Amino acid sequence: MSHLGERVSALVDGELNHHERDRALSHLTFCAPCRAEVDAVRALKSRLRSLDGPAMPADLTMSLLRMAEPGGPLPPRERPFRASRTFGGAPIPSMHAIAPPDNRPRGRAGGPRRARRAGYVAVGVASAAVAIGTLFVVGGADPNPRIVPPVDMFANQHRNTAPYGGSATPTLSPSP
Amino acid sequence: MIRLPATVVLAALMLLGLVTGGTAHADRPPHAAPPDDIESEDTGLHLLREAAAAGRSRGYSGTQYVTSWGASSAVSEVLEVRNIPGRGLTVRTEPSGTSGHSGSVRGAAPSGSWNADPGTPAGGMSSPSEVMLEVMARNYRVVYAGEGFACGRPARLVNVLRADGTVAARYWLDRAGGPVLRRELMDTGGRVVRAGAFVDLTLDPAARGAVPATAAGGLDLAELPLMEAEGWRFPRTLPGRLELFAAHRVPSGYLYLGYSDGLSVVSVFIQSGMLDEEGLQGWHAERRNGHTIWIRDPAGQETIWASGGHVYTVFADAPADMVDAAVAVLPHEPVPDLWTRLGRGASRLLSWANPFG
Repeated sequence: MSHLGERVSALVDGELNHHERDRALSHLTFCAPCRAEVDAVRALKSRLRSLDGPAMPADLTMSLLRMAEPGGPLPPRERPFRASRTFGGAPIPSMHAIAPPDNRPRGRAGGPRRARRAGYVAVGVASAAVAIGTLFVVGGADPNPRIVPPVDMFANQHRNTAPYGGSATPTLSPSP
Repeated sequence: MIRLPATVVLAALMLLGLVTGGTAHADRPPHAAPPDDIESEDTGLHLLREAAAAGRSRGYSGTQYVTSWGASSAVSEVLEVRNIPGRGLTVRTEPSGTSGHSGSVRGAAPSGSWNADPGTPAGGMSSPSEVMLEVMARNYRVVYAGEGFACGRPARLVNVLRADGTVAARYWLDRAGGPVLRRELMDTGGRVVRAGAFVDLTLDPAARGAVPATAAGGLDLAELPLMEAEGWRFPRTLPGRLELFAAHRVPSGYLYLGYSDGLSVVSVFIQSGMLDEEGLQGWHAERRNGHTIWIRDPAGQETIWASGGHVYTVFADAPADMVDAAVAVLPHEPVPDLWTRLGRGASRLLSWANPFG
């Protein structure tokens, strides 16, 4: 059997099944390096358990509690160090106001906004296309049929109608 | 003995004269000229009336040569005519060809033999009805213009004048009581645009006891109120003093409108539908005032165009400028396009969504 490798942490955490754990423990009986590594991991784990958890800031706790209360607007954000202090009209940067200069190019800074705008345009165009397509399909083809006038029949009627001839039907009696 | 005053005797004599004159007029043959024609400016109207009556009541046979001139060419046809009183006029046509540098004979009458009324375009319009003569007299001055010859026969010349004094038509009438020997139509520029003339005529002897009379004629507008009730709207008159004399809704699916000024005739056929331009073989397109007009004959007497959801077909026996003016005032709405279809779709969607629709 090769060295335990990544199975060391699993052995320490008790995540191996019975068979794998038995094989790992039997390996530790004759492999000193793996035994030393398991001991190191167990020591690190016990040390982490002994550390205290991080304390929650008092203002954050109060804000969360106020949010939990029914009704009432949310309280304004309280800045622990206001930047309203000035000296000779110039603002005095506070401890939290000091930030590294933003050397990122402007293009990267406006990218998401422009992409969002392009997305809106794309959605609008797509919606308009769907609407026009719907109207086009629902409108259907023109209900009027496509026709070619029967010009020979019209010409015969014209040639055989007497102007102001009364209501007499024109005679159409061609003979071969 | 009673002595009557001289004025009473004079009045009695005048009354007797009037009664005698009235009797004389009553005995006048029906084809003779009414006094109003003679006394008015239409000094040739009674001559036209006599010739129109002779065209129906006299037997004759002959050969006519009919030519229509267009802007660039002309269409001609030869008619063999035979009129037998009581049986009617028989016309046999043989297109003789075209002259000029373009055009075809498609607009000419088809070859064959036809029974035609002499008041129709097929019969040369040589025997107009009484009502058509009245319309002619209302729109024009019909004046006797002297003597002449046509087809080798003595003839009386009658001019039909417009209000401005220009000649709109000229007739040569057979002095021997025969039909119209020659008929010419002129446009407003004085150019002859249509002429029909006998080149050979054999006049049968007048039948004894036959009383020549013109056809009474009249309007054919009985269907007009029904058509208007259905929403059809069309002009009662067209440029050139063309007046609506016939309107029919033909069951096979088209509308017929006939216009005439007493000399010319323009027939308008209206169908519902879209014009299938690919099916118009032998027609060529022209652009007029932004619209497409399809024309077949070189004389400009046959036109087709689409307007809105309708197709208009016009056949005419009239000067080309009169036909063009009539076509121009008839509807020329744009053909329904994409926006029309989208609007139709929107209205359908609204009708579907409308619970009260």
